[in-house]
Amino acid sequence: MTGEELLALCKDSLARAGEAHAEVFATWRARGCARFAGGELGQHMELEEPHAVVRVARGARVAEAQTTRLGVAEIADAIARAAKAAPLLPETEGFPGFAPAGDPTPHPRRFQRDTAQATPEARAEMLAPVLAKVRAAGLVAAGMLETSRGAAAVATTEGCARSHEDTIASFKVWALETPGAGGAAGYGGHMHQSVSALAVERETERAIRMCKLGQNPMELDAGRYDVVLEPAAMAELLEWLSQIAFGAPEVEQGGSPMRLGERITGESVTITDDSTLDDPALGFGVPFDREGTARRPITLVDRGVARAILYDRTYAARASTRSTGSAQLGEVGGVGAIGAANLALSGGDAASVDDLIAGIDRGLYVCRLHYVNGFLETPRAVMTGLTRDGCFLVERGKIARAVGNMRFTDSLLEGLARSDGMTKERTAIPTWWSDGGTVVAPAVRMRGFLFNGRSQKTLEREQ
Amino acid sequence: MLSPAEEAAMRAALDVLRRDPNVRYAEVRFVDEQNERLQIRDGRPETASTGGSRGVGIRVLGQRTWGFACTPHVNEAELVAAAQRAAHIAKASSALATSAVIFPERPASRGVYETRVAKDPFAIPLDQKMAALDAPVRELLRGGKPVSSAAAWMEWVRVEKRLLTTEGTDTTQRFTYGGAGMMVHTLGDDGASQRRSYPTWQGSEGFQGGWEGLDALDLMGHTGEIRDEAIALLTAPPCPEGTSDLVLDASQVALQIHESCGHPTELDRALGSEISLAGGSFMQPRMLGKLRYGSDIVDIVADSTSEGGMGTFGWDDEGVASGTHPLIERGKFVDYLSSRETAHALARESTGTMRADGWNRPPLIRMVNVSLQPKRGTLDELIADTKDGVFMLVDKSWSIDDLRLNFQFSCEAAWEIKNGKKTRILRDPRYTGITPDFWRSCDAICGREEWKLFGISTCGKGDPMQIMQVGHGAAPARFRKVSVGNTGSKG
Repeated sequence: MTGEELLALCKDSLARAGEAHAEVFATWRARGCARFAGGELGQHMELEEPHAVVRVARGARVAEAQTTRLGVAEIADAIARAAKAAPLLPETEGFPGFAPAGDPTPHPRRFQRDTAQATPEARAEMLAPVLAKVRAAGLVAAGMLETSRGAAAVATTEGCARSHEDTIASFKVWALETPGAGGAAGYGGHMHQSVSALAVERETERAIRMCKLGQNPMELDAGRYDVVLEPAAMAELLEWLSQIAFGAPEVEQGGSPMRLGERITGESVTITDDSTLDDPALGFGVPFDREGTARRPITLVDRGVARAILYDRTYAARASTRSTGSAQLGEVGGVGAIGAANLALSGGDAASVDDLIAGIDRGLYVCRLHYVNGFLETPRAVMTGLTRDGCFLVERGKIARAVGNMRFTDSLLEGLARSDGMTKERTAIPTWWSDGGTVVAPAVRMRGFLFNGRSQKTLEREQ
Repeated sequence: MLSPAEEAAMRAALDVLRRDPNVRYAEVRFVDEQNERLQIRDGRPETASTGGSRGVGIRVLGQRTWGFACTPHVNEAELVAAAQRAAHIAKASSALATSAVIFPERPASRGVYETRVAKDPFAIPLDQKMAALDAPVRELLRGGKPVSSAAAWMEWVRVEKRLLTTEGTDTTQRFTYGGAGMMVHTLGDDGASQRRSYPTWQGSEGFQGGWEGLDALDLMGHTGEIRDEAIALLTAPPCPEGTSDLVLDASQVALQIHESCGHPTELDRALGSEISLAGGSFMQPRMLGKLRYGSDIVDIVADSTSEGGMGTFGWDDEGVASGTHPLIERGKFVDYLSSRETAHALARESTGTMRADGWNRPPLIRMVNVSLQPKRGTLDELIADTKDGVFMLVDKSWSIDDLRLNFQFSCEAAWEIKNGKKTRILRDPRYTGITPDFWRSCDAICGREEWKLFGISTCGKGDPMQIMQVGHGAAPARFRKVSVGNTGSKG
C-alpha cells in the first residue's frame, strides 16, 4: 500500500462512520526477512503487518479500538466499537480534542525503489557470499537481512491528514566460534533506506575480524575501567534512557532523571529526537506521530542540561504546552506510549574509534551490550547489562587481547559526565520498541565506568 | 470465528501445497485474536482499547528448507497466493542450504481445546471493569504525599486458532487469557522514588481463564499493604552488600525460572538459531543427563497441561499434543523445550513447544508452563528456619547474559531476616549469581500451599520479535550464600 492509499482509507472510514470526533491512524508494512543461523538460511519469511488504531471522543471521554483489517468497512466497524465504549469511560483530564490540520507534514526522503522491490531470490543472492565467506574463515554465520516497505497515515474529523511511506534495509551478521554455545563472536551491522547501499561485505569482514580477535579471552577482575563503547553498545543505553527519562509520564511520576534547566550530565552530551533527518543512512521512522502531530527536531539534553521532555497532546495540554509529536503505539505491555522516535546523540570530533582507544592507558573496548535494564534507580539512570560480541582489554592505547564478557552497573548520565571523547561519525541502530525508528549514536569514551562482575566463558568444567 | 467459506479457502490453499512436488510438509494456520486493555492511572483512563487481529500464516517445507508467508485476507485467492509465495520462498532459499531439513513425520492430530471460563470477561460491561480498576487506584492515592502515582490495569485476550497441515492435522483451539494488577509509586523529599506492585510486576500476573481470575486477586484487599511498603521503602536502609542466605518470594522464583531455566533449555537457542536477537545457551546437548544444574531438590518441568496456565494448550503449532516433560530432574539437566526438527537432531521426540505470535509470524520454540515443583513447608516456616538472611520480593529489574549464565536481578523490596524473623524492610535490593551455582545452592522450596502459577504475557523472542504468553509455577525458595546488595552503582 502507498501512503496516499492508506490516507484515503483513513478518510473514507471516518466518512463512513460519521462520528463527530474521531481519529484514525493506520500503518502497513511488508517485510522480507532472511534470517540465517548455523551457517544456513533457516527462516526466510515474508510478513505483512497491517494495523489501524482509531479513537472516538464523546466530550473528554475517549475510547480506542484497533484492527488489522485495513478495509473501509472494518475500520468503520472499529470506530463504531470505540464510539460504543466512549460514553462508559471516565473523562480523560486535559483531553484537548483530536489534531486539526496543523503544520505542513515534513517529507524527508525515506523511500528507495530497490528495497521496495527486493525479492526472496535477491535476498538469498546477497547472503550467499556472506555465508561462504564466514564458512571459509572457519566460523559459523548468523544474522538477518531484511528489506521492507511501509506506509503510515492519519486522519481526524478535525481536519488533520498526513501520510508517509518509506523503505528500510538492514543487515546484521555474526561470525561465531560455535553456533550457540558461546566462545568468540564478531558482529557487523548496517541500516540504509536502499538495499543496494548496504555494506554487506564490509560488515561481514568486520564480524570475521572481530571474532578472530575475540578468541582465547582472559578473565578480568571487576572494577572501574575507562571504556570505549561502539555505537551499537551506546545505542542500547540511549534507548533505555529514552524509556525512563524523556516521556512526560515518567517525569510526572518522579522517576525520571530529567530536571529541566539543570545540568544532568556532561557538557559534551547533546541528545535530540529528530525524525526529519534527511540522510538515507540515518533517517528512519515516521515524521508524525499517531495523533497526527508533525514531529519537529527536539533538543532534549543540550550540552548536559535537561531542556525538554516529550508530550502527546493530552499531556501537553495538562502542562499548557505543545505536543512534541511523541505519541506512540505502545503495543508491548504499554511500553513507549510517549517516547522518542529517532533519538540521536551528537558526535564529537574523534576521527575514528581507534583514536578514542588511543586515549586509554588501561581500559576496555566494548562492541555490543546485552540485556541492558534501566529500571534499577531511574532518577540516576543506573543501568546494568553485559558485554556481548566483543570485549577487549586496551593497554597503552591499543587493543591488547580479548576479555570474557563483563557485567556493568553504573549511572549512564554520570558515566557520560566523565566522557571525554566521541567519534564524529554516527551510526543508526534499529531499536526494539519504538515505531520503526532508530537510535543514532557515535562511539563514546567514558572514564571510570563500573564493571561489577564477569560471566563465565563456558561451562567446560562441568564435563 | 472461521466461516465455512474461510475454512474452504484454507483447505484450497493446503490442496495447492499438497499437489506441489517441491513441498514436503505445510501448515496453514488461522488466528483470530480479540483483546481488551484497560488501565487507570491517578484516576484517569490511561488505556481503554479493544483490538482485533485476524489472518492466516502458511509455513512450507520445500525440498531443502522452509518458507513462510501470510495474509490478513481470508479468502481463497489470497490464501492460495500466500501458499504459493511460501513455497516460492522455500525454493529461493534452497540454494543456500548445505543439507535438507529433516522433519520427522507424525500421525495427524485432531480435536478441540478450549479454556475453561466460569465468567466471560468479554461479557462484563466496560463501566464495571473501569470501576474495578478505579477503586483500588483511589485507595492507593488516599492520603496523598508521599504517594506520587498509582495505577491499576487489566487485559483480556481471546484467541481462536485453527491448524490444518498436509499430514492431516486439524485442530481448533479457543483460548481466553487474563491479567490484572496495580502499582503505587512514592517520591521522597530527596527525589528518591520507590515502587510496589501487586500481585507482581506488570506483565507477569497473567492466567488462562475468565473474570473469576480477577476476582481471586482481590486488588482492594492488598492496597494498604503495598502503599505502606512503598512509603516505608523511602526511608528504609539499602540492602547491605555481601554474601547472604537469600529467600525469594514465589513471583521472583518464577522470574528466576523464566530467565535461567526456561530460556536456556530452548533447544533452538542451544543450537544457535536465536543468535540474531537473544543469544545461545550454556546448556548444550552434550550436557544432557550429565549437567548438575541444581541441588537434589530442584525439579523443573515443562507442562503444557497445567490448569489455568498461560502456557497451556491442546496442541502446539506443529500439531504436537500438550504434555508434561521433566527438564531438570533431582537437579540434573534431562531434556529441552523442543520442536520436531530440533528434537530429531538429538534423536529425541518433540516436547511440543512450537508456537507463533499471531498469524503473521512463523512458530518458534516457546516456553510452556516451566515450573518448579513444590516440596514442603510454608514461607513463614522457611523464614523461621533461616538464621540470618534476606527475603526479596517482586521483580524490579532483570538482566542475564547471552548464554544465560551471569544474572543480576533487583527487587521492589526486601526484608532482613535475623534469627528466623523478618526484622526490618530494606530498599533497592539486588542479587547476582551464575545460574548452576545458584540453583545448586537451593536448599529449601516451600510446599504446595505456597505454590502459585504465574503467567508472563510479554515474553519476547525471535527476530522479528514475537511476544508470547508463558507460565511458571513456583513456590518461595531459599538459596545459600548468594551475592546480594543494592542497586546503587557507587563502588
